[in-house]
Amino acid sequence: MPDIAFFGFAAVTVLGAILALESRDLVYGAVSLGVSFLGVASLFFLLDAAYIGVFQIAVYIGAVVILILFTVMLVGPAKGEGPTEFRRTALFIGILVAMMLGVGGALASPSAFSTNQPCTPECDLAQFSQSLLVTYSVQLAVLSLVFAAAVIGALTLAKSERGTA
Amino acid sequence: MTSPLFFKVAVFPGLTSIGIIIALFIWLDRKITARVQLRVGPLYASPLGGVLQSFADLIKFAFKELFIPRNADKFFFVAAPVLALIGGAGLVGLIPFTPEWQISNLELGLPAFLAFVTLSPMLILLAGWSANSKYPFIGGLRSLFQQTAYEIPLWLSAIGVVMMAGTMNLIGIVQAQAKPWYVFPGMYIPGWYIIPQALGALLFFITATAEMERIPFDLPEAEPEIIMGWQAEYPGFLFMSAAGASFVRLYAFSALFSVLYLGGWMGPAPVPALLWTAIKIIIVSSLIILLRATFPRVRIDQLLRAGWTYLLGLAFLNIVITYLLVVGPRI
Repeated sequence: MPDIAFFGFAAVTVLGAILALESRDLVYGAVSLGVSFLGVASLFFLLDAAYIGVFQIAVYIGAVVILILFTVMLVGPAKGEGPTEFRRTALFIGILVAMMLGVGGALASPSAFSTNQPCTPECDLAQFSQSLLVTYSVQLAVLSLVFAAAVIGALTLAKSERGTA
Repeated sequence: MTSPLFFKVAVFPGLTSIGIIIALFIWLDRKITARVQLRVGPLYASPLGGVLQSFADLIKFAFKELFIPRNADKFFFVAAPVLALIGGAGLVGLIPFTPEWQISNLELGLPAFLAFVTLSPMLILLAGWSANSKYPFIGGLRSLFQQTAYEIPLWLSAIGVVMMAGTMNLIGIVQAQAKPWYVFPGMYIPGWYIIPQALGALLFFITATAEMERIPFDLPEAEPEIIMGWQAEYPGFLFMSAAGASFVRLYAFSALFSVLYLGGWMGPAPVPALLWTAIKIIIVSSLIILLRATFPRVRIDQLLRAGWTYLLGLAFLNIVITYLLVVGPRI
């Protein structure tokens, strides 16, 4: 039964990604990207990583896809305008890269994800926060500094553009 | 005999009860607003103060012609309000009405609820864009601004509850509120989080009202400015879905508020647990409806400034206060 669910969600993910690249209307492309992210989130749920799945939905669909849609709405072509160019080679290259990545991941997986400790749905969050806040606390602080720098940079850009306009 | 899960999904707290409760909420909304404004409100549709008015409206909407504008994007025009309605009903499935009466008891119930709420600005933007008309598009963009701005204080104000309860499971959050607080000999007050989390509860209430797009935050569908905004072009049945979606969210958010801050199904014994949940939901939703009848609409720049500065700052302050309450001051 999980196999059927896995193949269903994997198919949704891959089809959403292909549609996101190849759809002629940018809005449909952005929504397909959202569907693809939803498939990825479902795969996380299947793997009992509910925390990552929930935040996949909140961050990637709730923020990233919405920002893309926002940009498309503000600067993209109006509805009824001609479609963007259909690039067939991009599709083949995309499928090729996906297959290579998939094969590479499958070869690497027995060594990459070997874990002997059984994990209940409750422990993944506790372990996750443990490793994040104890083992990798310095890296987390550095990462948050990077984000803070990005936010300050974006604010500066917005301010200076408003000043010149 | 049908299975209990099927009964829960199909009857209560699932689809049938959601439909009936939404119709009753629409009636409550109209009746309370009318009473505040010294009008009568729905009156004739039943002996009981027009309580059947929404059902009559539902039948009327169902028989209207499904008129789709010629240059509209037909797929999203139809799909967006229907998906918004379904998504709103899905939120109710996460709510524990009592420990037995819950459809899906997720370990991460609270973030799952809030994550599904983040999907709604996308649907509303698509609904506004697909109509290919100016007012719906302005409404959709306003919804995008407003909901994304208020999601962040919504999540941050809910973190206070998670810190106090030590769990993100909604049943666990209610059970963590079971222990009463000892004030002085012979007097206890219920350990509901509305008291230690007063600031968080206020922030959650305000941001949830903004997420529901109800007056005073109903900019995406402001009638005098942009004539119902993103719902402007919708015909009969689709308009019913779009309007129903906002009432489903009113129901779901009232239920979530009573679970997070008002102790869910807990209350003195003779009244059954389910009735306590119902009473709390009705009180919270009536408060939200009273806001609609009392306050004027805010401007979009006021709304965004308040969201990104005051509410965000207060949400961080609430986290600091909660930290001091849970851990205590440490040097």
